Amino acid sequence: MSGLLHFAEHRLQEAALIFMALVYTKRILWLLKFPAGKERQAPTGSRDTTKRKGILYSWAIVGMPWAMESTRTRFFTYVQFVVFHVGVTAAIALSFIIPYLPGLIENNDTLVRVFQVVIWAACAVGCMRIVRRIVDPYMRAISSPDDYFSLVLLTVWFAFAALSAPNRPDQGEGPLLAYFILTAFFLIYVPFSKISHYLYYPFTRFYFGRSMGHRGVFPIPKSVKPAFREAAAPVQAEATATTSSH
Amino acid sequence: MEAMQRSYKAQKVIDRMAKKLNRQIAGSLAACVHCGMCTESCHYVLANPGDPTYAPAYKADRVRKIFKRHFDWTGRVIPWWVKADSVYTDEELEELKDIAFGKCTNCRRCSLNCPMGVDFAVVNRMTRGLLVHVGIMPKGVAVVSKDQWEIGNQMGVLKEDYLDTIQWMSEELVDTLGDPGAAIPIDKNGCAVMYTINPREVKYDPRTISDAAKIFYAAEESWTMPSEGWDMTNFGLFSGDDELGGAVARRVFEKAAEIRAKCVVMSECGHGYRSTRCEGQNWAGMDVQFEMESSVVTMLRYLRDGRIKVDRSKNTLPVTYHDSCNNARSCGMFEEPRELLGLVAADFREMYPNRAENYCCTGGGGAMSMSEYTPQRLKSAKVKADQLRATGAKVVVTSCHNCVDGLTDLIRHYKLDMKVTQLVNLVADALVVEKRVAVPVPKAVPVAALAGRTILVIDDEPDVRAFLTAVLEDNGAKVVTAADGDEGLALARKEKPDLVTLDISMPGKDGGKVFEAMRRDPDLRSIRVCVITGRPELRKLIYERPVPPPEGYLDKPVSEETLLTNVRKILEVAGDQKAH
Ligand code: SF4
Ligand code: SF4
Repeated sequence: MSGLLHFAEHRLQEAALIFMALVYTKRILWLLKFPAGKERQAPTGSRDTTKRKGILYSWAIVGMPWAMESTRTRFFTYVQFVVFHVGVTAAIALSFIIPYLPGLIENNDTLVRVFQVVIWAACAVGCMRIVRRIVDPYMRAISSPDDYFSLVLLTVWFAFAALSAPNRPDQGEGPLLAYFILTAFFLIYVPFSKISHYLYYPFTRFYFGRSMGHRGVFPIPKSVKPAFREAAAPVQAEATATTSSH
Repeated sequence: MEAMQRSYKAQKVIDRMAKKLNRQIAGSLAACVHCGMCTESCHYVLANPGDPTYAPAYKADRVRKIFKRHFDWTGRVIPWWVKADSVYTDEELEELKDIAFGKCTNCRRCSLNCPMGVDFAVVNRMTRGLLVHVGIMPKGVAVVSKDQWEIGNQMGVLKEDYLDTIQWMSEELVDTLGDPGAAIPIDKNGCAVMYTINPREVKYDPRTISDAAKIFYAAEESWTMPSEGWDMTNFGLFSGDDELGGAVARRVFEKAAEIRAKCVVMSECGHGYRSTRCEGQNWAGMDVQFEMESSVVTMLRYLRDGRIKVDRSKNTLPVTYHDSCNNARSCGMFEEPRELLGLVAADFREMYPNRAENYCCTGGGGAMSMSEYTPQRLKSAKVKADQLRATGAKVVVTSCHNCVDGLTDLIRHYKLDMKVTQLVNLVADALVVEKRVAVPVPKAVPVAALAGRTILVIDDEPDVRAFLTAVLEDNGAKVVTAADGDEGLALARKEKPDLVTLDISMPGKDGGKVFEAMRRDPDLRSIRVCVITGRPELRKLIYERPVPPPEGYLDKPVSEETLLTNVRKILEVAGDQKAH
């Protein structure tokens, strides 16, 4: 392994990680300096829901494609989301495994293949997302240079991560060098870009979930599909034995 | 760009934003990843295919760019990279106004569908508040806010008119039920229930008040209506003005505390319920010692506890239920209205999607008061119209006065064969009143209720003239008719009628001009006027004139019962001594 690759895998990554941690801390402090709204009123809605339940549901909602109409009705987009984010996790994991736990993938072709399949799949989704962002007028209208750049950056990073998965510098250091330099760049760039959304996710979903739980909206009740739509005949209502008093 | 001169208002908007940002709003502004998942949640998008300017994220970006430029680091350093931009001119603020008020009803449907938890409806409400702070808002919003600040309710109903209407409803109920105990109490101390309403009920729909009174009577409830703080609606929710929101909520809370009510019950109004029950304490910064509930829950409790009995065979028409956004998506009221409907109506058909996923009536967020956006509102209403049509129902029930107006308007626009009603009306119709009362609520006003009255009907549509004439004559009035404005004015001078029913849209002199001419003519200005129009978007032709407003206003098509109720109210409650 060349000195340059060693530097890229270790010192560069560590410096970038420290930088990212510092900037993220500052970012969180920035968000926390805004006052949090308070709900004084007594809870509404179903007695089964609480602020706590609302928060947990809100955090978990991203793993429940049936819960929101947007993920339920665009299941393919949701699958893309999952593949993309699993790919990100795998590529990040690889950036730690290669320099610090190389034994894990050494002589373990199966694990390497798993990493490669997952990351190539994410790379393919990245390509699809780039096309969608360019072609779909709705996506174009809401996209900024950062949106395009972040997506291209991740997609290219996926490609180099997948190529680097076998960790064979002896067969050429190019992909590994590109992967680790990109990773370092990625770590430094992330706090300033939309990619930092995962930092906000716990906060936005916490406050939204707390409010919606307190108001009995979370968990989102099922939008019951009436049978008569298929049968073309009216359904009689049942007196539902439910919930609460307001 | 930063060197550009910024207008006074633009600078104030930026300064105000710094004060209004809280963690939830800052999070919503910072966290959007532009994934587009919320796009199709919005009824404006669905009704305007191919126009991305209606997409929630696009609309949010119009204010997000200001946030990023002034409060977010990347936007401060390299604004073009994240599409951050400041605001400089009043024209830009006007554009923002057209988005915040004209392209979003704050229905919160997109918020519920955002994987990131971005609550655009709350962001949009803040945007409205920033604009209102510098006086940039639709005219209707300015008028209604002024009324609510100054007169204490959003329709400018004077205290004496409110009390007169309650008195009138009370007397009618006592007559109908034959029991003086059915009178509506005012400011009674220590009651279990203080009943608050929407001023629309006083002005256009007093039957909902008497229906509620009848239900309280049947349940033998200890209840009262307040003489002040009776308006539980709150335009602060729509205008984004937290100060107004707090002041209005405080009026209700203080009155309830003053008369030591145990529970404030709110009539069926989505934004009123949300404002008073869910937001009011936060805006007013006060805690309250009494309970608050929607009348839907109260009525359901009476039924569950056996305090009232109903016969659902009295309501046989197929009904469907429209979830008000504020009741459902913002306050979690989903099952209670359905349970109640199941008990009082024989044929209930669920609308799809429903509950938290229901589409807005399109009249939400104060849209009904912003006539400049009526065309785009009605266009977006296609989504709701399709939803309604698919149910096959003849009646759409909703627990919101705003939705009643929004749905009525779209039903007329899309020519649906449906009418809109509220649960209180269905419960009252199905109510079985035992012992003390044998007679149900009268379906028709007694014959000759208008005897001795002369009414001039001005309308260019022969069918409408014939209908109004038949109903009014059947009830004893002498009716003269005119087919246009000039003829109407001539007849008004000749006949000196007690009341004029006036269409707005007519060839030649339109209703607005006729109305102003009457108000400016010393011989005619005391004649009472009830506007009856099929073009509610033309309301401003009447209400924006610098003359006293008409005594009544009705939307076409108008039912016999509504017509008579309102005509009688105008003639009797307003203190006319000519007859009776
Ligand atoms: S779904 Fe949420 S994150 Fe995605 S574009 Fe809409 S508001 Fe932004
Ligand atoms: S709040 Fe409702 S009207 Fe406004 S953008 Fe979202 S879905 Fe559309």
